[in-house]
Amino acid sequence: MTHVTSLLLGLGNGGVYAALAIALVLTYRSSGVVNFATGTIALYAAYTYASLRDGKLLVLVPGLPSTVGVGGRLGFVPAALLALALAAALGALLYAVVFRPLRQAPVLARAVASLGVLVVMQGLIENRLGQAPVSVAPIFPARSWRWGSATVLSDRFYLAIAVLGLTLALTALYRWTRFGLVTRAVAETQVGALVSGVSPERIALINWMASAVVAGAAGILIAPISPLTPSAYTLAVVPALAAAAVGHFELMVPTAAAGIVIGMLQSEALTLAGQHHWLPQSGLAELVPLFVIIGALLVTGRGIPVRGRVLRQQLGRAPRPRSLLVPTIAGTTLGVVALLVTQGTWRSAVIGSLIAAILGLSYVVVTGFAGQVSLAQLTLAGVGGFSLSGIMGSWGVPFPFAPILAAMIATAVGVVVGLPALRLRGLTLGIVTLALAYAIEASWFRNGQFVHSAGASIPDPKLFGLNLGVGTGHAFPRIQFGLLCLFTLVGIALGVARLRTSALGSAMLAVRANERSAAGIGVNVTAVKIASFAIASFIAGISGCLFAYRQSVITFVSFTALGGLALLATVYLAGITSVFGGILGGVLASSGIAFLVLDRTVHLGNWFAVLSGVGLIATLIRHPEGLASGGHDLARRFSHFKFLHPRRATPRRVVPLTVAEAPPNVYAGPALAVEHLTVRYGGVVAVSNVSIHVEAGAIVGLIGPNGAGKTSLIDAVTGFARAEGAVLLNGDRIDGVPAHVRVRRGLARTFQALELYDDLTVEENVSAAAFSTTRDHRHHQVTSALERSGLSELRERHAEDLSQGERQLVSIARACVSDPKVLLLDEPAAGLDTTDTRRLAARIRDIAAAGTAVLLVDHDIALVLGVCDFIYVLDFGEVILQGDPATIRADRGLADAYLGTLHDPSIAT
Amino acid sequence: MNARLECDGLAGGWGSLTAFRDLDLSVDPGTVHAILGPNGAGKTTLLLTIAGLLTAHKGSIAIDGQALKAGRATAAGRAGVVLVPDNRELFTTLTVEENLLVASGRRGPEPRSMLALFPALEARWKLRAGALSGGEQQMLAMARALIQRPKVLLVDELSMGLAPIIVERLFDAIRRVASDDGCAVVFVEQYVGLALKVADSVTVINHGEVILSGAARNIAEQPEVLEHAYLGTTQVIEEKVSNGNAVTPPQSAAQ
Repeated sequence: MTHVTSLLLGLGNGGVYAALAIALVLTYRSSGVVNFATGTIALYAAYTYASLRDGKLLVLVPGLPSTVGVGGRLGFVPAALLALALAAALGALLYAVVFRPLRQAPVLARAVASLGVLVVMQGLIENRLGQAPVSVAPIFPARSWRWGSATVLSDRFYLAIAVLGLTLALTALYRWTRFGLVTRAVAETQVGALVSGVSPERIALINWMASAVVAGAAGILIAPISPLTPSAYTLAVVPALAAAAVGHFELMVPTAAAGIVIGMLQSEALTLAGQHHWLPQSGLAELVPLFVIIGALLVTGRGIPVRGRVLRQQLGRAPRPRSLLVPTIAGTTLGVVALLVTQGTWRSAVIGSLIAAILGLSYVVVTGFAGQVSLAQLTLAGVGGFSLSGIMGSWGVPFPFAPILAAMIATAVGVVVGLPALRLRGLTLGIVTLALAYAIEASWFRNGQFVHSAGASIPDPKLFGLNLGVGTGHAFPRIQFGLLCLFTLVGIALGVARLRTSALGSAMLAVRANERSAAGIGVNVTAVKIASFAIASFIAGISGCLFAYRQSVITFVSFTALGGLALLATVYLAGITSVFGGILGGVLASSGIAFLVLDRTVHLGNWFAVLSGVGLIATLIRHPEGLASGGHDLARRFSHFKFLHPRRATPRRVVPLTVAEAPPNVYAGPALAVEHLTVRYGGVVAVSNVSIHVEAGAIVGLIGPNGAGKTSLIDAVTGFARAEGAVLLNGDRIDGVPAHVRVRRGLARTFQALELYDDLTVEENVSAAAFSTTRDHRHHQVTSALERSGLSELRERHAEDLSQGERQLVSIARACVSDPKVLLLDEPAAGLDTTDTRRLAARIRDIAAAGTAVLLVDHDIALVLGVCDFIYVLDFGEVILQGDPATIRADRGLADAYLGTLHDPSIAT
Repeated sequence: MNARLECDGLAGGWGSLTAFRDLDLSVDPGTVHAILGPNGAGKTTLLLTIAGLLTAHKGSIAIDGQALKAGRATAAGRAGVVLVPDNRELFTTLTVEENLLVASGRRGPEPRSMLALFPALEARWKLRAGALSGGEQQMLAMARALIQRPKVLLVDELSMGLAPIIVERLFDAIRRVASDDGCAVVFVEQYVGLALKVADSVTVINHGEVILSGAARNIAEQPEVLEHAYLGTTQVIEEKVSNGNAVTPPQSAAQ
């Protein structure tokens, strides 16, 4: 029965997780912020409550006395009510000052801002009150109840009941009041709310206050049970995130239940570890949230619901490195000079910056390029470092091989960390990686079975008898080690810059921009995601090895999950999408030179954390995409000024089509055959029993009014929508095959919204879709596709600088790059003027003349009638008319379908 | 009589891209105005700008002579401008009744009062909006706008994907709202014939510019002008017929 006892013992912590998880749900649903600072708000309320019971009011504003008297000790009820009111005010303040200005910012920017809030709040409380634990008088009677051999502590029990009561009250509030109704409406669509006369911002403000009250209540209730210290509650946000994930950041009762269960299982895990020595003696409890989160997110396959917003914004642009030579020489020189002119602590800080910059580059690869939010990079560096200790110490592997082997172990772990990315996106993925980081930290880095309590020691790196170690005593830190770090950084930075311009880099940016359209141009999304995690983990592993060499002895303290969050915040601030931003992140990191300069010149002492948090929030509000974005914009404006205008003036040369490689087409039937296709969305039939044939070399048109089902048909044929019926490519069934495989078999498409990658050049946009294995062949394909589209002159231009007509041509060139058998064009003439449309028509004829079967969907009837050999007219999901252009033109049905009864004489009377 | 909605030299678009420019529009209370034009002409962007969901690049919008602040959707809502967006933006997880409750506000009309205009919603009253058919969803979107008692009603692509009989009913509702409540209605429509029957006045835009505007009756009398705007110039066809020989494109018929 000890198991029942230990399970029941976990009710206290479980209740707190439940309440914090509810608080997370409230802020997420109303404003889309995953608030990592929820635990800190609980902490503030708990401290305020504790000091009110002592007759004092806590004042966090620097410069004022840290407490003022309130004329005698307050009882439980007035103290709790006042503390909760202050927590509500804090919630309102946070929304108004930090998160309302960020309401249009990327989701990641808002999460990073909440990390800034966490740092500021925790720093303020530490500075004002010190680290000493504060004890609080009990709220609930503390007795031991015995049921048979099981024991329950009554205060834990009451706490859990109180939290459950709160949950039910909130559920009722959101279910049955007008405020709850409006909150649910805002959570679903903000545009819908705005056109219904509801202000989403006012609703978000009230929900932030409610969230702070719930978090504050959790803080006050747990204060008497676990001693109050500033860092105590911060990490409680990880199990709370797991609980919120179980309720899909939406449902309150499952969320609260999950929180309580996590607390109980953690308590039981501790008991089990004490009973069974084969179990890990540390970290078992921390594994619980991980398993719960993986179960909730992966098994059900549902991520956090993405909220409808007025504008969708991604991470910042990932600019193409312009010239590598000058920055490389300048950066290397600067690094050498910095190492030469410094010594002691200063040189150590320079080395710290170099190592942190390498880690920063790993964030650039996985998050900046591939768009996968990983909160575990510092943990992966730790995996590299601790592995290095084992590899060099126990196995005696020599220097250049040991760190590479250690980094490969980090790579393997990183791929495992990245596996959830195959099913999850965005911050949901970030939360899983955070839970993983938290579990690895506890079960490996802090586990006495693996790591000696004094830390893991690492021998010096030696190469051909040359000691590259960091040295000790007066020699510390030796210049040789500094140069080793510098040259490693330079090598990795060059590699990351090369990656950005490679085919894989283009594919990563394609995945980041839109997984759907990436699959639509034949990118294997799964492989690209795994590759990005593998590369980033290898880089993180290398930085962890260098860090280990620098410290000689490493402990878990350097590789905590929370430290990883802080580092992500720094790199994000510096600009997570570019090599320069990654390196700048290293310079700004707390182990680096910027920290030391500030510390020595201004004597900030403990206030550094608070000020850096304030700086982070202020910068985010001005530059939601990070600091480096400002520099990149400047560079772009300059280059516009210098190069673009003369180039625009050069007349465009139209390259005549050369039919170089006509695909051997032995199949006699239609290249594309769609048989009895039906597409249903919910109860609505979008396409009903449609059959369409397109012969090789023919242009077939598909027209019909808006909502007739044209795009649904294209989506079904290309594998983006489920459908009944058959799709045959050169006689082979392809329905049931994934979208990117259909592309590789020769079924290419363009998108109505074009889905070009704005931060890639024209050439990169096209080459992202070239999936040939050899670089030469790929280059040949891209060059020929650009020439055929008359885009050769524009190949170095960024897609966002092009006119709509040029963008359409790029989109078509991208679809044609691998000589498809069938090309589906979705509204290629949208937004084109007459001249552009003529050029487009010529281009489409060229493509068909080369033997490709073309299916053209467009609203420009003149274009369709002009270029097509055969036309289908679709209305209400059915083919209402088909025939050659002359037949279609002569049929009154076409004009009627488009213009209604324009020629109805009654209206002209 | 003063205009209810007055746009003067309005220009707008997404980010730095311009979707329409130099647009003047004046709609009197109790009248219905149609915005026509082919896809991509800038019609939807225009409605979003008037409703404050996008910030105008240039020009002014005034309701009953009071200027609206650009890009403030809540302010536009308070001034009585209500939009029915083309994708409807219903609260699909809420019931029909709840959708109307959200929009009616604390002192607004009873949700059931909307049944007079849209009796078909009665049978769906407690169903989630996501479970409705396309026509019912459009009725609900209209009802959700009308329950706010708009001074200016903006309707985007009312007939998209709907059967003609439903479209007719929805347009009946629009006419009644204009004549009974003195609302100024601006709607975007792709079926020109239908639009000309319903509207009092019409603006035709293409490539972001006004190419024709005036009373619906006058425009209905010159169908060739509209057909040109919609079906485009015939040059591509002639190009093919004449096998590549240059054909002078006809000048815009509006000039």
